Amino acid sequence: MKSDTMSFATIGRFWFPVLALVIPLAIIVVVTGQFGGLSIQRTVVEMLISIVIVVGLYVFVGNSGIISFGHATFMAIAAYASAWQTCCEMLKPITMSGLPPFLRDQSIPLLPSAVVSVLLAGGAAFLTGLVIMRLTGLAASISTLAVLFILNVVYSNWDSVTMGSASIVGLPTYVTAWLALGCAVFAIVIAYLYQTSAFGLAIRATREDEVAAAASGISLYWSRLIAFTLSGFMVGLGGVLQAHYLGTVSINSFFLSFTFLALAMLIVGGMGSLAGAVVGVVVITAMVDIFRRLEGGISIGAEQWSLPAGTQELIIAAFMLLILVFRKDGIMAGREMTLPEQEQREKGLING
Amino acid sequence: MSRPSKERLEARGVAVAFGGIRALSGVDLELRRGEVLGLIGPNGAGKTTMVNVLSGFQRPTSGSISLDGTDVSKLTARKIAQAGVGRSFQAARLFRAMTVEQNLSVAAIGSGLSRRVARERALEILDWMGLVKKADHRCDSLSYGDERRVSIARALALQPSFALLDEPASGMNDAECEALMEVIAELPARFGCGVLLIEHNMKVIMGVCQRIHVLDGGQSLAEGSPQDIQKNPAVRRAYLGEKATDSTLAI
Repeated sequence: MKSDTMSFATIGRFWFPVLALVIPLAIIVVVTGQFGGLSIQRTVVEMLISIVIVVGLYVFVGNSGIISFGHATFMAIAAYASAWQTCCEMLKPITMSGLPPFLRDQSIPLLPSAVVSVLLAGGAAFLTGLVIMRLTGLAASISTLAVLFILNVVYSNWDSVTMGSASIVGLPTYVTAWLALGCAVFAIVIAYLYQTSAFGLAIRATREDEVAAAASGISLYWSRLIAFTLSGFMVGLGGVLQAHYLGTVSINSFFLSFTFLALAMLIVGGMGSLAGAVVGVVVITAMVDIFRRLEGGISIGAEQWSLPAGTQELIIAAFMLLILVFRKDGIMAGREMTLPEQEQREKGLING
Repeated sequence: MSRPSKERLEARGVAVAFGGIRALSGVDLELRRGEVLGLIGPNGAGKTTMVNVLSGFQRPTSGSISLDGTDVSKLTARKIAQAGVGRSFQAARLFRAMTVEQNLSVAAIGSGLSRRVARERALEILDWMGLVKKADHRCDSLSYGDERRVSIARALALQPSFALLDEPASGMNDAECEALMEVIAELPARFGCGVLLIEHNMKVIMGVCQRIHVLDGGQSLAEGSPQDIQKNPAVRRAYLGEKATDSTLAI
């Protein structure tokens, strides 16, 4: 048994899975910031934003075991909310004339607007979850897809407020590599604290065995609702970051192709662990970037050589298939980054 | 203990029908705090159905379940668990991707403890059962015997007033059975709970139960002390067939 005062080693062991993810990310940011070209730096920022989103998705999907197709909804809600508050003060009265006056006629400072947007995403996730977290298994997954479609239809047609399916352009772009890194670290820490908390244990138990969880006094509904709401906040943050990195918001960038890419990242890395979520983003981002460059063309000596367009999507799909066939629990197979000794302990090779 | 202990878990006239099949008809059963009550009967007698009814996983077709006189027949399994009825399953049903300590902590959290206190309670129980060295093992790496013991430990982590154990000794060897008997016999004194024990191993049943309830074909056949049950001719016929000899039930 441990004494009451947590020793340095205990704290170190507790935080190791987080440090093992955060430190390499920080190194990537520093190295590419010093030596990388502009396009590499862009890729790194996109990767960090994806980490915020996929880790947010993981908080629900990974811990509950229920695939959600609906999380892009909460990203879109946050991204649009932030656009309404901060975008293009001169144009808003013309392009988004349906906005209420307090939004239409003024801009709201960046930080409060970001906070409000994230809260709105979390609130929307909570309200949605109140209804659909009563469902289990496939029904829950399909209902999240329905939520995505509802939002897409509403925002695509609500012309006076969302500019329909056109892009809102001219958002302030304040997202730097360091801000994105900060948010990624924040998301990883929140996800880790959550999954090691009482709430996290409870929902993981429902993922493993719903019947035994009920016999242990665990509420399926509440534990899932908490995860869904927290997850909504986190992807909302991702939505705000993406909007203020690209400077544009468009409803079609929060629809099926985005949803599938985010899920692909989670599945490739392994949806059973936080490390899986982060590793999946890094691997898929790297692959997308490499093949996008090859599609764009490279010169070898005097020869100009390029892959046919669409190769990148094919390769990602093939890679996902290979993962599902040969390593169905993903690259990390549901495990966190652990010290070798800890891994042996979990496998039962070390006692005590 | 965070919640007041209950004294009696009662089933009155419980009947369960699955379509046309009557799994239980009119069974009365009373489990008191501080005792180990054996529930035996041939395969298909309705033992597991009875445990499912008592733990809220099966709504009785008629009859009622009460905790200290309060009707709990309409409560969900989770609410009944929180009211102090813990159970284990025939298949261990552990949370396989989680560690042993986390499995117990889940139940302790379900009973209303904080994460930190839940962990302390989990380690306490594991220590008592001689499993504390395996606290950090993932459950998918456990041996069969350990799986069974962890599933009992998890039922105890709920701080139950009543623990319903469904064939805890199945598949265990003699030495493991002996150790398990010691654990079960000590439960009432150590955790202040009542234990309902379903078991096919007569040595275990006769060794640890103060009272035994016999089911056959969904009906109560007899109830009494181990000695009474061993002598009861109706039990011998139903449970062991006509050819039962004196030595079969005698331990």
